[in-house]
Amino acid sequence: MNDSAISVRRLVKAYGDLRAVDDISFEVAPGTIFGLLGRNGAGKTTTLETCIGLTKPTSGSVRVDGLDPTRRPDFEQLRRRVGVQLQATSLPEKALVREILSIFFEYYGLAPHVAELAARVGLEEKLDRFVGKLSGGEQQRLALALALLHDPAILFLDEPTAGMDAFGRRILWGEIDRLREAGKTVVLTTHYIEEAERLCDEVCIVQAGRIVARDTPAALVAAYGGAATIAFSARGFTADEALAADPTLAPLGRWAKVSEHWSLAVAGEPGAALGAIVAYANARGVSIDKLDLRRPDLEDAFIAITGESLADETVGDGSGAAA
Amino acid sequence: MLPILRGLRLLFVQTRADFVWYFWRDGEMIFWSLAFPVFFLFVFSFALGSGSTRQTSTFLVPGLIGAQVFSSGFWGVGAMLSTFREKKVLRRIYLTPLPAWVFFAALVLYRMTLLAAQAALLATIGALCFHVRVIGNPLEIAAILALGAATFVSLGAVIGAVVRSTESANNVASVLTVPLAFVSDAYIPIDRFPGKVPDLLRLLPSTEFVDAFRGIAMDGQSLAHYAGWIGLLALWAVAGTAVTARYFRWV
Repeated sequence: MNDSAISVRRLVKAYGDLRAVDDISFEVAPGTIFGLLGRNGAGKTTTLETCIGLTKPTSGSVRVDGLDPTRRPDFEQLRRRVGVQLQATSLPEKALVREILSIFFEYYGLAPHVAELAARVGLEEKLDRFVGKLSGGEQQRLALALALLHDPAILFLDEPTAGMDAFGRRILWGEIDRLREAGKTVVLTTHYIEEAERLCDEVCIVQAGRIVARDTPAALVAAYGGAATIAFSARGFTADEALAADPTLAPLGRWAKVSEHWSLAVAGEPGAALGAIVAYANARGVSIDKLDLRRPDLEDAFIAITGESLADETVGDGSGAAA
Repeated sequence: MLPILRGLRLLFVQTRADFVWYFWRDGEMIFWSLAFPVFFLFVFSFALGSGSTRQTSTFLVPGLIGAQVFSSGFWGVGAMLSTFREKKVLRRIYLTPLPAWVFFAALVLYRMTLLAAQAALLATIGALCFHVRVIGNPLEIAAILALGAATFVSLGAVIGAVVRSTESANNVASVLTVPLAFVSDAYIPIDRFPGKVPDLLRLLPSTEFVDAFRGIAMDGQSLAHYAGWIGLLALWAVAGTAVTARYFRWV
């Protein structure tokens, strides 16, 4: 598959006995927003750093835009073609934001559009501030600006929203949408379900150095997310009575009592089940206290696939990024 | 733009940035590199003198400048590179098309600029307060200073290349800088050491540099007079550069 923007084959990275990346393979088609989703320490960052030549693989191979990042001449071409936002980017503390942006334009031999780029990441008010005085989220946005600066065809973003506030996340998400429209290829790592579901065309779920699932978010949810559930309660309603009274309710799914309400794990189309329940209640003049439909999301799929939850991960742990 | 012109332009931009970011805006750095050597000049002129303070200061001004040259290499570049690596500054630069030679040459030029300022300051204060007279040819003085800076920056870069952690790099830099200042004819004359010790100490590149610098600046000797030592210093510089090029890691 030479037309892949990125091709990772049987990648292994071992640190002593620890296999941080343990036989990972994937291809990313051009124009795809590709997410590596997993807990901290799953091997996402190591995989990404191998793609950009910061980490040498123990075995296996990586090609980015047809180039091998472990070969020096390839790497030199590669760094003009890819944009990178590292998890912990540290820049000289006594440099002004304006100076950093302008010197990076120099590095790429480009005319400096400093104000324009700063505005794109919401830093137009901070141009004359020292890098060391920026908040963690602002530093992340500056790092994002450096990744976007030379309009690369391929971007690698490592935990791009770690330490960012809602404003920063909105900016990043907007940029991803722009990159998608411009046909850029983006690889991003994240341990935020919402980010993966909202941004990515394709998601690889990474666990203990391996890819345990790979598909579009919707397909992962459909395959692993489980059933939609309807939470229902009404005065005097019990599932046992209802099933006895109306046999058409039986094929809708499995009922269970959950604290104060009943929960139906829907077997078929949730809309049909909702309709049937409402019809049953209306026909008997029962007033409905609670009726909620919850569709499975990527988090359900993640838990089903990995047996672990992402929810207990602490927020903003992009090590050092917020320092 | 021609690659060489682009390189020179980048070199200028990067050198200016290094100077502003790491020296001009860093109060601590200004103190250690300017105020501290001047303080030493005063204290040592009175404390270490055996003859007149003028004689002592005439010995000390080039000695202190010389000590700044190696501290600039070991601390300023060696320990700084390790810090940059640990703080992940290096990897960010590595991912840009900035040529490696520009990055290193800018560090050397920034250090040379700072050394020129340090040398001018010490010479001026020496002249005003202790009647120290610099009689050497300014171009030759600049040349030997530049060679010294190149030698010790390249030896310092070896620390940055082979020592992994910032803490160890700082330790190695102190262990080299402080004793060398005392045994290289910089702070105290090595003739005061007994027996064959001075001859051994003259094998140190730091001693060779300080003596050549002092001879050229204060005694008006020519560069040619020190051709042998200059050749050795250049060899050290080449060796340091080679080891750095071989072992340096950006990540």
